[in-house]
Amino acid sequence: MGGVDSGPDDRPADLPAQAVADLIPIVRRVVGGRVGGHPAAEDLVQETLTRVLAASATIEPGMLEPYAIVTARNVVASMWRDEDRKRRNQHRVVDLSEPESPEARLVLDEEQGAMAQALARLTERERLTLLAHEVGGTDTRTLAEQAGSTAGAVAAQLNRTRARLRVEYLLAARQVEPPTDRCRPVLIALSSADQRRQREVGAAQHLLECETCAQLSEPLLERGQHRDGTLRIPITADPDIVAARTAVRSLASSLAFGPTELTVIATAVSEVCRNIVRFAGSGEVVVELLDSPRRGLQVVARDAGPGIDDVDAAMADGFSTYGGLGLGLPGVRRLMDEFAVASEPGHGTTVTMTKWERKDHG
Amino acid sequence: MADEKPGAGRQGAPTDEAPPNGLRDDPTAAAHDGVAAGGNGEHLLSQLIAHLRENRTRLREEWAERIQEAHLLTAMTPKEMAAETTSVYDNYVEVLETGSVEALQHYARDLSERIIPRGVETHEVVGIVLLLRDVLARSLFEKYQRDFGLLNEVLDAYEPAANRIANTVAVSFVDERERVIRQQQDAIRELSTPVLPVRERLLILPIIGVLDSERARQLTEQLLTGIRRHRAKVVVIDITGSPDVDETVANHLVQTVDASRLMGASVIITGLSPKIAQTLVTIGVDLSKMNTIGDLQGGLEEAERLLGYTVTRKEVSSSS
Amino acid sequence: MNGGPALVSIMRQGSTLIASIHTALDDSELVRFEHDLVAQIGTHRSRGVIIDVAALDVIDSFAAHTLRRIAEMARLRGARTVVVGIQPEVAFAMVRLGMRPAAGGDHVTTALDLEEGLALLETAESGGPPGGAAGWSP
Repeated sequence: MGGVDSGPDDRPADLPAQAVADLIPIVRRVVGGRVGGHPAAEDLVQETLTRVLAASATIEPGMLEPYAIVTARNVVASMWRDEDRKRRNQHRVVDLSEPESPEARLVLDEEQGAMAQALARLTERERLTLLAHEVGGTDTRTLAEQAGSTAGAVAAQLNRTRARLRVEYLLAARQVEPPTDRCRPVLIALSSADQRRQREVGAAQHLLECETCAQLSEPLLERGQHRDGTLRIPITADPDIVAARTAVRSLASSLAFGPTELTVIATAVSEVCRNIVRFAGSGEVVVELLDSPRRGLQVVARDAGPGIDDVDAAMADGFSTYGGLGLGLPGVRRLMDEFAVASEPGHGTTVTMTKWERKDHG
Repeated sequence: MADEKPGAGRQGAPTDEAPPNGLRDDPTAAAHDGVAAGGNGEHLLSQLIAHLRENRTRLREEWAERIQEAHLLTAMTPKEMAAETTSVYDNYVEVLETGSVEALQHYARDLSERIIPRGVETHEVVGIVLLLRDVLARSLFEKYQRDFGLLNEVLDAYEPAANRIANTVAVSFVDERERVIRQQQDAIRELSTPVLPVRERLLILPIIGVLDSERARQLTEQLLTGIRRHRAKVVVIDITGSPDVDETVANHLVQTVDASRLMGASVIITGLSPKIAQTLVTIGVDLSKMNTIGDLQGGLEEAERLLGYTVTRKEVSSSS
Repeated sequence: MNGGPALVSIMRQGSTLIASIHTALDDSELVRFEHDLVAQIGTHRSRGVIIDVAALDVIDSFAAHTLRRIAEMARLRGARTVVVGIQPEVAFAMVRLGMRPAAGGDHVTTALDLEEGLALLETAESGGPPGGAAGWSP
């Protein structure tokens, strides 16, 4: 709290610039403490100072320092949010980060060529919707209104388009033409991780028969699955709820969970994901395999939605979250071994829950 | 509840190991941060390791003899004994050299897995490791006996490491043994909660003995899958044989009944003692909504009634 | 839906509608299913509805709520609903989540499978008491 290097409180009010300049050390410390040697650190300091200076006329002289600290934190937080958004969108097809070196530039040019080809193979409508969402940042609800459809349908459509785009991109980048008529449907089914569809098109059988698809399937199947047993699933619309619980179930099945536990976990994931869609619009679920103190599975569901005003009340049995169902969080807590909610009204909610392998039950 | 302080009472963990009595002057660092750490200690340790490598055959044989004399590992053939003692010896020296017990841990688990089914006991495994420690310590004594100061230093470097190894092996063995025992218990439990198909569409689940939460969980799973497998329409859960249940288990029981009903089966509970009934009421169960009947005989009659009703309606002759 | 294979099928057998859900449905698909089914109950003046959920690996609060709402709507149109095929693990998870079987007639009735469901509807038709089956309340 206490300022160390700041100027005196009785600084003349007609010298706001000097007063703000005096804040530089403290602001640097706040920013440095949060982002360390991040290349953007100095920019953040400057941005903070600019904001403080702009507001300095309305701030009591004694309040300047605390105000600067708060502003610095906000500036840093909003940078993280941007970074986080980029990270969350990275699994999608359009790269939002800038290339850094000339070599990267070259690679990027090649990639962009393949991407352009891939985009060209989509239908006009698919392409426009995808670009509006990914590049233009239009949300699914708006897109749905424009198309006279529902947000869920648009999100599902987007997922299918992305799946197709990934396939077309791979084909273009590797300059291969699928040898059979069956290849594309199989690849798209793999790309969308839709197991039902994969069964219908006989994906497993086809991969055994078709060398081309077998090779292409690798990058398609890797997608979204982190190396270290961590899974990050963006939740933006209700089809994502089903996708999330399916993905979590399959990750959980790598542990010694029985069918009942797998179903229990999938049900809990379904509930928390729906809360995200209903109350925050979007968010994400991060699933992680734990090794200590025991083997287990941790699910973190977070959103930047309106938050919960009274967490205790929300955890009481009979608290209704929607549609008159007295279930919600207390039910989820009963499903899992460990359960915690952190929520800040106006800033979002994070639910952390864990299921342990039950070997150690005495 | 409150008596579980984290961190307390973990004497068994290797990292908590303190150097043995008396000998803890300066090389405490070596005991905590890997065996091979520490300046002078490190030099001594490499001398020590060279010694153990040179005399590998002789020391290993001496050790094997001592094991025989002590009547340990009698379940093993001489040939097996030779192979295992060689492996343990080499692993032992490796731990001294690298300071990492990981490889030894793996080996100890593996060894335990092989010898536990043959009835080898914990004291035998700990015994052979302690014997090896003594055999090696004695050889060090012989080697350095002229220079008492140096001997002391060598032992200071050796003993914490040796104790850590003994601990690792013992812990690995005990872990493995627990795992095996748990497996056996699971198997026994499964046998102890049979789901009995008495006749078409009717299951009886007699609960005998104390129900802990693990057994209650298994019981639920067996009953629910049993309902599906046998296409059961009525289930009679007889708890005459269960003396008492706590609230957690009572809750589980109620959930089992509820889940059975969701699947479409009717549940009749028989043999409910006043004590268990009281527990159920305490946790908020409305007993009037449960189909409870005094004894198993009455429960079966009620089950027949429920079944018979649909059988005649469907006009299918059932000859039980 | 458009193009792809059917996620659900609704068949008519006499005065009974048999609806089978073939795969996990997301919320909007569930809602669409609800509308389709309720519309067909009206069109065919069905007396009984069977919903086979054996293919569902999760019945969460929304799915349960939707099934219950279908049953209510069916009841208002004079039809009785039986949900059949709830898997053992799913039943357990539902109970854990807080769905309790309820004895009242205005809740969903459940039965083991299609055959049981049909038998249950027959007995109901002929005025008998509803077997031993239960439904659930939230």
